[in-house]
Amino acid sequence: MDFLTFFGNDFKVVMPELYLFTACLFLLSYGVIFSTSKSLNYPIIQLNVGWLSIFSLGITLSLLISSPVVTMSVFNNLLIVDAFSTFSKILIVSSTLVCCLMSMSYLNNKKVNSFEYFILILLACLGMVCLVSTNDLLALYMSIELMSLSFYVLAAYKRSSEFSGEAGLKYFILGAFSSGLLLFGTSMIYGFTGLTNFEEISKVVTGINGVTDVVTYNGIIIGLLFVAVALLFKIGAAPFHMWAPDVYEGAPTPVTAFFSIVPKIAIMALLLRLFYSTFYDFASLWQPIFLYTGVLSMLIGSIGALYQKKIKRLMAYSGIANVGYMLIGFSAGTVESMSGLIIYLIIYVVMMVAFFSFVLGTQTEKDAKLNMHVSDLSNLGKVNPVLAMSVTFILFSMVGLPPFAGFFGKMYLFLAVMQSELYTVAIIGVLSSVVAAFYYIRIIKVMFFGTSNHYVTYKQMDKLNALVLSSSLFFLIFFFAYPTPFLLCAHKVSLGLLL
Amino acid sequence: MFDSSILLSLVGLPLFGMILLFFIPDTNPDLQKTVGLSTSLLTFLLSLLLWLQFDMSTPKYQFVEKFFSVPYSNMHVYLGVDGISLFFVLLTTLLIPICLLASWDSIKIYIREYSIAFLFLEAVLICVFTCLDVLFFYIFFEAVLIPMFLIIGIWGSRERKIRASYQFFIYTLVGSVLMLLAILYIYQLTGTTDVQVLTTVTFDYDTQLILWLAFFASLAVKVPMVPAHIWLPEAHSEAPTAGSVILAGVLLKMGGYGFLRFSIPMFPDASVYFTPLVYTLSVIAIIYTSLTTLRQVDMKRIIAYSSVAHMGFVTIGMFTLNIQGIEGSMLLMLSHGVVSSALFLCVGVIYDRHKTRIIKYYSGLTVKMPLFSITFLFFILANMGFPGTSSFVSEFLVLVGSFKSNVFITVLAATGVVWGAGYSIWLFNRVAFGNIRTSHITAFQDLDRREFFVFVPCVFLTFLMGIYPEIFLNAMHVSITHLIEQVQ
Repeated sequence: MDFLTFFGNDFKVVMPELYLFTACLFLLSYGVIFSTSKSLNYPIIQLNVGWLSIFSLGITLSLLISSPVVTMSVFNNLLIVDAFSTFSKILIVSSTLVCCLMSMSYLNNKKVNSFEYFILILLACLGMVCLVSTNDLLALYMSIELMSLSFYVLAAYKRSSEFSGEAGLKYFILGAFSSGLLLFGTSMIYGFTGLTNFEEISKVVTGINGVTDVVTYNGIIIGLLFVAVALLFKIGAAPFHMWAPDVYEGAPTPVTAFFSIVPKIAIMALLLRLFYSTFYDFASLWQPIFLYTGVLSMLIGSIGALYQKKIKRLMAYSGIANVGYMLIGFSAGTVESMSGLIIYLIIYVVMMVAFFSFVLGTQTEKDAKLNMHVSDLSNLGKVNPVLAMSVTFILFSMVGLPPFAGFFGKMYLFLAVMQSELYTVAIIGVLSSVVAAFYYIRIIKVMFFGTSNHYVTYKQMDKLNALVLSSSLFFLIFFFAYPTPFLLCAHKVSLGLLL
Repeated sequence: MFDSSILLSLVGLPLFGMILLFFIPDTNPDLQKTVGLSTSLLTFLLSLLLWLQFDMSTPKYQFVEKFFSVPYSNMHVYLGVDGISLFFVLLTTLLIPICLLASWDSIKIYIREYSIAFLFLEAVLICVFTCLDVLFFYIFFEAVLIPMFLIIGIWGSRERKIRASYQFFIYTLVGSVLMLLAILYIYQLTGTTDVQVLTTVTFDYDTQLILWLAFFASLAVKVPMVPAHIWLPEAHSEAPTAGSVILAGVLLKMGGYGFLRFSIPMFPDASVYFTPLVYTLSVIAIIYTSLTTLRQVDMKRIIAYSSVAHMGFVTIGMFTLNIQGIEGSMLLMLSHGVVSSALFLCVGVIYDRHKTRIIKYYSGLTVKMPLFSITFLFFILANMGFPGTSSFVSEFLVLVGSFKSNVFITVLAATGVVWGAGYSIWLFNRVAFGNIRTSHITAFQDLDRREFFVFVPCVFLTFLMGIYPEIFLNAMHVSITHLIEQVQ
C-alpha cells in the first residue's frame, strides 16, 4: 500500500504540527552544526536560534489560524482536530511565542549562550499542541511525556545554579511519579475495556447500553481516578502542589514564566476533552474530585502566598490558587462553565504574561539582577512611576477588581458555579479571592510606599518586554469595552466540544 | 437635544480631561492643575443642566440612554437619573472641583496623576449613581476603590496611611464580594440585572432575606454601620484633605444610595424584617461613636467619628419607610456631604499651615485667624444641627419619621443631637478659643482668596438647605413616594 494513500488527507490536517516538528529538527541541526563549527570560531547563535524559533512559531500560528476548522480524526483516530483543539493550539502557540519574546533579554544579559533553550521550548510546545488534540490514551501519554521531558530539562537549564539543578531533579522525580500514575490509570482503563480510543471508550461507558458489569465499572473508575490525579499533579492543583513552589523558584525566570503560563492551558484543555466529552457520563463521580481539589487549591494557594517573600514563589502559589478557580469552574460541568473557564484561561494567561514581562524586564542598574524578592521593588514607585502604575493595574486585575479583565474572568466563572447551585463553593471562592487580595496589594504597597535603605535604580526596560507588557496591559484595561469576540469564541468552542 | 446625551457627556467629560492631562508635560504643573479644575467645573455646569431639565412630576428614570450591552447575556446597561440619584450626581460634580481647588498648593508630588485620579473618580462615581443595572453598579462601586486606594496611599499624610489604605481596601472588598455573589444569584434566578425589571420581580421570602443580608454586608461597610466602621476613621485621618472630602462627601453616600436603590425596592419584605437590626446598629452608632469622638485627639478623627454618627441617622431615616424619614435621610446625606466636607476642609486649612492636626497644639485661633474661625464655627454649628442650617432640617425630618415607627429608637437617636453639640462645641472651644498659644506655633495666616472661594459654595448650600429645603425635597418627592408605594 502506498504511504500517502494509507494516511489519506491526514497530513494536510496536521500541517501545523508537522511544520513545528520539522522546524524543531531543522533548528536543532542548524544549532549543532554552526555552534560547533571550528571554521566559524564557535559562534554564539543563541539569539539567532531564538529569532528563528519565534519566526517558526509565528508561521505555525498562521497555519493554525488559516487551517479550515473541520472536525476530523486522523492517523487511525489517534489525533482529533476540531474547533476546540484548534483554539487551544492557537492559545498555546501564541503564548509560547510571547514567552520566547520575553526571554530574549534575559538570555542575552545572563550570557547563557546555549541555543538548546529554544529547541526545548519548541519541543515542549509541540508536545502540548499534540496533547490538546489527542484522541487516544496512547497519544495522550506520548505527548504528555514529550512535554514533561522538555520541562525537566528546562527547569534545570541554568547549569551554574544549584537551585536550578534542584528544581530540575525535583520536577523530574515527581513528574516521573505522576507519569507513572497516568500510565497505570490508562492501563487500568485499557485492561477493563480493551480500548484506548476516547470515542470508543465514550461509546462503551455511555447510555443505557453502558457498563453494566460492576467489576468493569469499578475498574474504569479506578483508572479514571489515577488519570485525574496524574493530570492534577501536572497542573499543580492543591494536594499535589508541593513541587510547584520549589520548581518555580529554582527554575530560571523565563522558564518559570513559561511553566506558569503554557502548561496550564494544555492540561486544562486535555482535562476538558477527557472529562467533558469522553467521560461525561461519569460526571457525578469526577465532579466531587475536582470540586474538592479546586477548593483546597484556592485556600492553599491564597493562604500559602501570604508569607512568601520571593516573587517567583509568590507567583507559584498564586498559580495554585488560580488553578483552584479554574477547577471549581470545571467541576460545574456545563456549557456555561466551560465557556467561563475558557475566558478565565485567556485572561489568566494575559495577566501572567503581563506580570512576568515586568519581572523579566526590570533589572537593577548596578549588577543587572532581576527582582527576586518583593522588597527589591521598594523604589519602583519613585524611580519609574509609570511602570509601577502599570504593575499596579496588573495586580488589581489579578485581585479581580472591576473594570479590569481579571474581574470578568472571575465573574463568568462564579456565574457558572452559581448556575450549578454550588453556593458554598462560590462563597469560599470569593472569600479566598479576598485573602489573595492581601498579597497582591502587598506588592503594590512595597512599590509605592515601601522604604528601603539603599536607593536602587533600574535599567531601562528592553523593547521586547516593554512591547509585551504594554500590549497585554492594554488588553487587561480595555477588555471590558469590547469583550464580544472572546465571549463569542469561548461560547462556540465549548458548544462545539459538548454538543 | 440635551436630553439624549447629557449623562454620557457627564461621564465622558472627566475622561476627556484625563486623556488631555496625559499630554501635558510635567514641566508645567500649573497647567495640569488648571486643566483638571476646569474640566471638573465644566462637568459641574453640565450637571446643573441636568437639574434644570429634570421633570419633578414623574418617578420614572429620566435622561435614559444606553451605555452598552454585554453579549450572550441579557445585560443592556442604561444610564438614567430619578429624584433619588439626581442630587448624588450633583454632589459629586460639586465636590470634585472643590477637592481639586482645596489641594492646589498642598499636593507637591505626582500632580498630574492626582488630577487624573480625581477625574477618574468623578467619572466612576457618576456611573455609580446613574447606572440602572445591579451588576454594573457593583462594577463601578468596586472601581472606586482603585483611585481611592491610590489617593490615600500616595498622597496621604503620614506613615500610617499604608495601614489605612489596606484597611479601606480589604473591608470594602470583603463586603462587596458577597454582594457580587448575590447579584450573580439574582441573575441566575431572573435572567436579568436591570433595576427597572428587578423592582417588579417579587422574590420569595427566604431568598429575600439571604439576598438582603448579602447586599447589607457590602453597603453597611460603605455607610459605615457600627461593627464595620473601623476603616473610616483610619482612612479619613490618613487621606489627604481632598481625599477625606470626597470620602465623607460622596463615597459614604454610595452605601445609602445602594439601600434606597436596591435593597429597599427589591427586597421589601426583608427590609421590613431587618428594620430592627438596622435601627439597633444605627442607635449604637450614634451613641457609641459620639462618645468615642470625645476621646480623640486628632481633629480629622473627630469629624470622621461624627460622620459615622450622622450616617446612623441616615440609616434610621431610610428604614422608617415613610416619606418624612426617607426624605430626611436623603437630605441628611446631602447636608452631611456639604458640611462634613467643609469641616475636613477647615482642618485641611490649618493642617496646611502647621502640619499637625493634634488639638493640643492649637488654641485661641480666633485672635489671629478671625475669618477662619467664623467659617469653622459656622460648620461646627451646622454639624450639630443648629436651626437654620441644613442638618437641622434633615435630622428633624428623620426624627419625625422614626417617631411614627418606633418611639423608643427616636428617643435614643435624639440624644445624638445632644452628643453632637457636646463634641462639636468641645472641639471648637479647644481650637478657636482660649489664650493664643505661641509655644508651638508662632506664625499665623488667615484664609487666603483660594480657600475663601472653596468655602463659599459650602456655606451657601448649607444655608440654602437649612432655610429653603423645598427646592431639594420637591425634586425627590415623587420618586420617594413611588419607592414607598413599591414597598407597601
